[in-house]
Amino acid sequence: MPIRNPFRPQHSTTARRRILPVLATAALTVLALSACSAPTTTPRGPEFFDWADVQVAADGQTVKLWMWGGDDQGNAYVDDVLAPAAAAQGVTLERVPIADTKDALNRVFTELQAGRNTDGAVDLVWINGDNFRTGKQADAWFCEWTDLLPNMTAVSATDPLLTEDFGTPVDGCEAPWHKAQFSFVYNSATVPDPPTTIEGILEWAEANPGRFTYPAAPDFTGSAFLRSVLYSESGGYENVPSTFSDEAFDELSPALFDRLDALAPSLWREGSTYPATSEQLTKLFADGEIDMMMTYGPATLTALVENGTLPDTTRVLTVDDGTLGNASFFGIPSNSGNIAGAMVVANEALSVEQQVAKADPAVWGQFTVLDLDALSADDRALFDALPQSPVVPSFDILSQNANPELSAEWVPALDDAWRTRIAAR
Amino acid sequence: MTVTTTSVDLDTARSNQQQRRMPGDHGRPLTQSRGLARALRILSTALIALWFALPFLPLVLWSFADQWMHPAAFPMETGTDGLTAAIANGGGRAFLHSLALSLVVAAIATPLGAMAARALSRGQVRFGKAITVLLFSPVMLPPFAAVLGLNVLLLRAWVPPVVGVVLVLVAVAIPYTTFSMRAAYAAYDDGFDEAARTLGASSRLTLWRIHLPLIAPALARSAFLAFLVGWSDYLITLVVGGGHLVTLPLIIASSASGVGNESSVAVLSLSAVIPPLILLGLIARSRNLDPGRQR
Repeated sequence: MPIRNPFRPQHSTTARRRILPVLATAALTVLALSACSAPTTTPRGPEFFDWADVQVAADGQTVKLWMWGGDDQGNAYVDDVLAPAAAAQGVTLERVPIADTKDALNRVFTELQAGRNTDGAVDLVWINGDNFRTGKQADAWFCEWTDLLPNMTAVSATDPLLTEDFGTPVDGCEAPWHKAQFSFVYNSATVPDPPTTIEGILEWAEANPGRFTYPAAPDFTGSAFLRSVLYSESGGYENVPSTFSDEAFDELSPALFDRLDALAPSLWREGSTYPATSEQLTKLFADGEIDMMMTYGPATLTALVENGTLPDTTRVLTVDDGTLGNASFFGIPSNSGNIAGAMVVANEALSVEQQVAKADPAVWGQFTVLDLDALSADDRALFDALPQSPVVPSFDILSQNANPELSAEWVPALDDAWRTRIAAR
Repeated sequence: MTVTTTSVDLDTARSNQQQRRMPGDHGRPLTQSRGLARALRILSTALIALWFALPFLPLVLWSFADQWMHPAAFPMETGTDGLTAAIANGGGRAFLHSLALSLVVAAIATPLGAMAARALSRGQVRFGKAITVLLFSPVMLPPFAAVLGLNVLLLRAWVPPVVGVVLVLVAVAIPYTTFSMRAAYAAYDDGFDEAARTLGASSRLTLWRIHLPLIAPALARSAFLAFLVGWSDYLITLVVGGGHLVTLPLIIASSASGVGNESSVAVLSLSAVIPPLILLGLIARSRNLDPGRQR
C-alpha cells in the first residue's frame, strides 16, 4: 500500500487525473477530424508563360530528386556534376536515394490522397516505362512543360524512343535524360568465338550447357530478354505489332515459349532455377559461373570492369538483328512545391556540357538523348572526343538496327505466360 | 569470566569458515556444471558466439576489399575504396541523422514506456488488459499497411515530416519499452519509496534519489531497445519522412540494390552495427546507481 503525502490536498491530483485524458482525447479528435476533411482534387501545377518566368520562380528553390541509388557512379554524377551546375542557376539539388522507384510514386500517391496538392516532398523522379505509365494513369505528373525547356531544341522531336515511353505517349509529361540499349555481354576469355545473332546465342547456350541463363520474369532485364527472343523467333521486330492484342499474342508467343522450353535443360542449373534479378545475374557472371549475360544498362559495365567486379575480358556483344532500346526521363509530380526549380534542373541536365560529361565512361557513361546530327560542329566534336570504353562500343554501333520497345501491355502478358509455361516446367 | 582475545586466531577462524558452510553462506552452487557437462557448456557457448560473429567476418573483409572475385578465398586487393565510396554516398551525414533520430526516439519512448509499465504493474489501471493489448498493437499490425494509411492521416493533419517520423517511431518503440519496464517493475520493491516517504522525503526527492537510481539499469535496457527501433527503421523514415531524413538504413538499402557496391555497403553496414554494440557494452556494465547518495 503506497503511502500518500497527507499534506497534499487530494482533490488537485484527482482533478489533474481527470483533465489529462480529456485533453488528450480532445486533441486526438481534432487531429482525426481535420484529417478526414481534406478535399481531393487533382492539382494541375503552376502556369508559366515563358522560360524567364520559370527562372524567376526557380530562384532559391530546393529540388529533391528521388532516384534509384544502387549505382555509385550515377550518385556521384548527380552530386558532383549536376548539382553544382544547378546551384549556379540558383537551384539547390538534393538527391534522395531509394531502393525502388516505386517508393517515390507511393509517396506522391499518398500525398495526393491526403489532398497535399502544392507542397509535395518529391520534386523530380528518374523514371521510365511502367512507373511512368502508373503515374500517368493516376494523373500524378505535371504535364506539357518540356516544350518550355530551351535545351529541348537539341532533342529530336520525332525520335520514337523519346516520344513514347514503352508505348505510353510522353505528351510533355517527362523530359528525356539518357538512352539505354539492351546488350548481351560475354567473357572473351571463355567465349573466343562469340555468336552474332540472338538465335546464335541460344544455340551457343545449348552447345555449352550450364554457362548461360537469364533473370526470371517479371524482372526488368529478364522480361526484356523475353521480348528480344520474341522478335528473333518472329523473324524480326517488324513482324510483332507494337500494340498488344490477344490474336497477336496467341499467334506469336507459342514459338517463343517452345524455343525457351527447348533451351531450358541447357541453362545454368538445368533451368531448374533462374536468377531473380539482373543483379543476381551479374553476380553469376562476375563469379565466373556463367560466360554470357545481358543488361539494359551497358553504361555501368566500364566501371564494373575497372573496379574489378567484372573480369577484364568482359565485352559487349553486338548482334546483327539489333537489340531493344529505351530512354529514361525526369518526371515532375504535379503536387511538387518546386516545379520551376525541377524544370531548371531537367533543362540543365539536357545541356551539351552535362550530356557530354555524363557520357564519359569515367563519369557515368550514359548515352546522350541529344540529336547528334543537329548539333553545331563544336558541340558534336565534344561528343566525338569522348574516350572510348574498352568494354562497351560507342552508342552508334551499339544502337545499330535498334528495336523499338513493345507497348506496356505486352510485358505482363509475356511475363505471366513465362511463369506458367517455363518456370512451372 | 574473562574473555581473552589472544586465544582466537583470526586466520584459523577464517579458514575454518571457508571449509564449514553455514546455511545461507555462499559456496559452490549445485547448478554449476562439472566435468563433461562443463565442457559441453563451454563448447556450446563458443559455438553460439561463433554463430553470431561469423556473419561479420565477410563484412569486415569486404569493407577493405578493393578487388575480390569469385574463386579467391580472400580479397585480392585491399584498400579504402569502400570507405571513400561510402562517404561520397553521404554516409557521414546519414550516420548523424540516424544517431539524432534514434536518440530522440529513445528519449521520448523510454519515460512513456516506464510510466505505462509502472501504472500497469501496480494494477491500478481500469481495463489494464485491454490497454496492454492496445499498447502492443503497433508491433502486431503489418507495418507497411499501417504506415501507408497513417501517412495519409499525418499529411492531412499537416504534421511536419520529421515530427511525423518521430511520432510513428515512438509508437512502434513504446511496446518494447513498456514490456521491458514491466519486467523490471514486477521485481521492484515499493518498500524503498515508502521508506523514503515515511522518513520525510518529498515525492520528487524520492523519485530522483531512490526510484530512478534503482530502475536505472532497466531504463537503460529499454532505452536501448527504443534506440534500435529508430536506428534500424527503413520504411517509416522513407515513407513518412518524405526524403527529409536520409538515414543509414536508407543509404544501405539503396546502395545494396545495385551491383559492384559490395565494399561500400559493407562499410556502411559495419558503421550501422558498431554504435548499438557500444551501447550494449555500456548497458552490460551498468548497475544500480547508489540510491540516496549525497552530493
